[in-house]
Amino acid sequence: MAAPKIGQAAYKGPSIIKEIFYGMALGLTAGGLWKMHHWNNQKRTREFYDLLNRGEVTVVLENEVTSP
Amino acid sequence: MIVLEWLFLTIAPCDAAEPWQLGSQDAATPMMQGIIDLHHDIFFFLILILVFVSRILVRALWHFHYKKNPIPQRIVHGTTIEILRTIFPSIIPMFIAIPSFALLYSMDEVVVDPAITIKAIGHQWYRTYEYSDYNSSDEQSLTFDSYTIPEDDLELGQSRLLEVDNRVVVPAQTHLRIIVTSADVLHSWAVPSLGVKCDAVPGRLNQTSILVQREGVYYGQCSEICGTNHAFMPIVVEAVSRKDYGSRAKPPHTTLRHKRRGPVACLVSSGYELPVFFQEEKINLILIMDQLIADFVSRMGLALPVAILVAVKAGLAE
Repeated sequence: MAAPKIGQAAYKGPSIIKEIFYGMALGLTAGGLWKMHHWNNQKRTREFYDLLNRGEVTVVLENEVTSP
Repeated sequence: MIVLEWLFLTIAPCDAAEPWQLGSQDAATPMMQGIIDLHHDIFFFLILILVFVSRILVRALWHFHYKKNPIPQRIVHGTTIEILRTIFPSIIPMFIAIPSFALLYSMDEVVVDPAITIKAIGHQWYRTYEYSDYNSSDEQSLTFDSYTIPEDDLELGQSRLLEVDNRVVVPAQTHLRIIVTSADVLHSWAVPSLGVKCDAVPGRLNQTSILVQREGVYYGQCSEICGTNHAFMPIVVEAVSRKDYGSRAKPPHTTLRHKRRGPVACLVSSGYELPVFFQEEKINLILIMDQLIADFVSRMGLALPVAILVAVKAGLAE
């Protein structure tokens, strides 16, 4: 190969182990953010139903019974 | 977190489809909440794989650009990485399968004793609903048709292609059994907020159970192509409080009596498929016959064999 014989630094290339590690770390971080969004949604849903069951909130705008 | 909310755009603050909606409609039943949770569980793995593969791709394109790396390496295989890239992706489906099967089998659980049974019958191109638990004084079930409201007749605030003249009124916080069938061609009774999609097959009674957790109005549309007006036969389910249900779900000037469930209804809830010759009229006839013999045979514990005899008799009379 000509490249190593020329008096300049040869390109060593990436380390596959490091790239896999960084990729997994980034993927797990992004997945973790999604999971936080999911847990936040679950918490808000649970809070809503707790308040609804205790009667502190209502989903009924007007408490009138009208025939369909 | 506000940025994440904006990014994911998964908030649909209603129980009907919204323009440019990205995520699911808000869940109103435990089944739909389970479906949404399963979707979130699987989406975690999708994001993980997307980010990982995108990063590796971008880094490979960066590092092995022809100007930076003029002489490509001649690598034909690498045993270690081949083993890793086979085992790791095969583990991911196992993590997906666990919540998936848990939800699937819990959705298959049949509610043993629902409070109310409602029949949803699809026609071209409207729906008929029957509340057979109630008898009016002349022994007829509470039956009504549900037609879509044409666009020209919509009032301010109503949704196009979603509103109907007569809604399905159900009590909230109550176990319901919906029996879906068709009088002509295939239809489908689908309400996304309730997590329900049940095909209406002529000659067959399909059953689904729901428990609506909160009051509200839930919209759905026919989900099986059924002809020219397939898009114009929506479903509207109105969940009211139990104390309001008694005044909403009966025709005026009638009294309601709770009717004991007949043997053919037992047959249906056991998951048996009625023969093809059972048209809608025959189903009504048999249910009326059930009323006549229910008191005697259910006491004697002969409900199922008598139901089979009744069904055969009805078929022979065809």
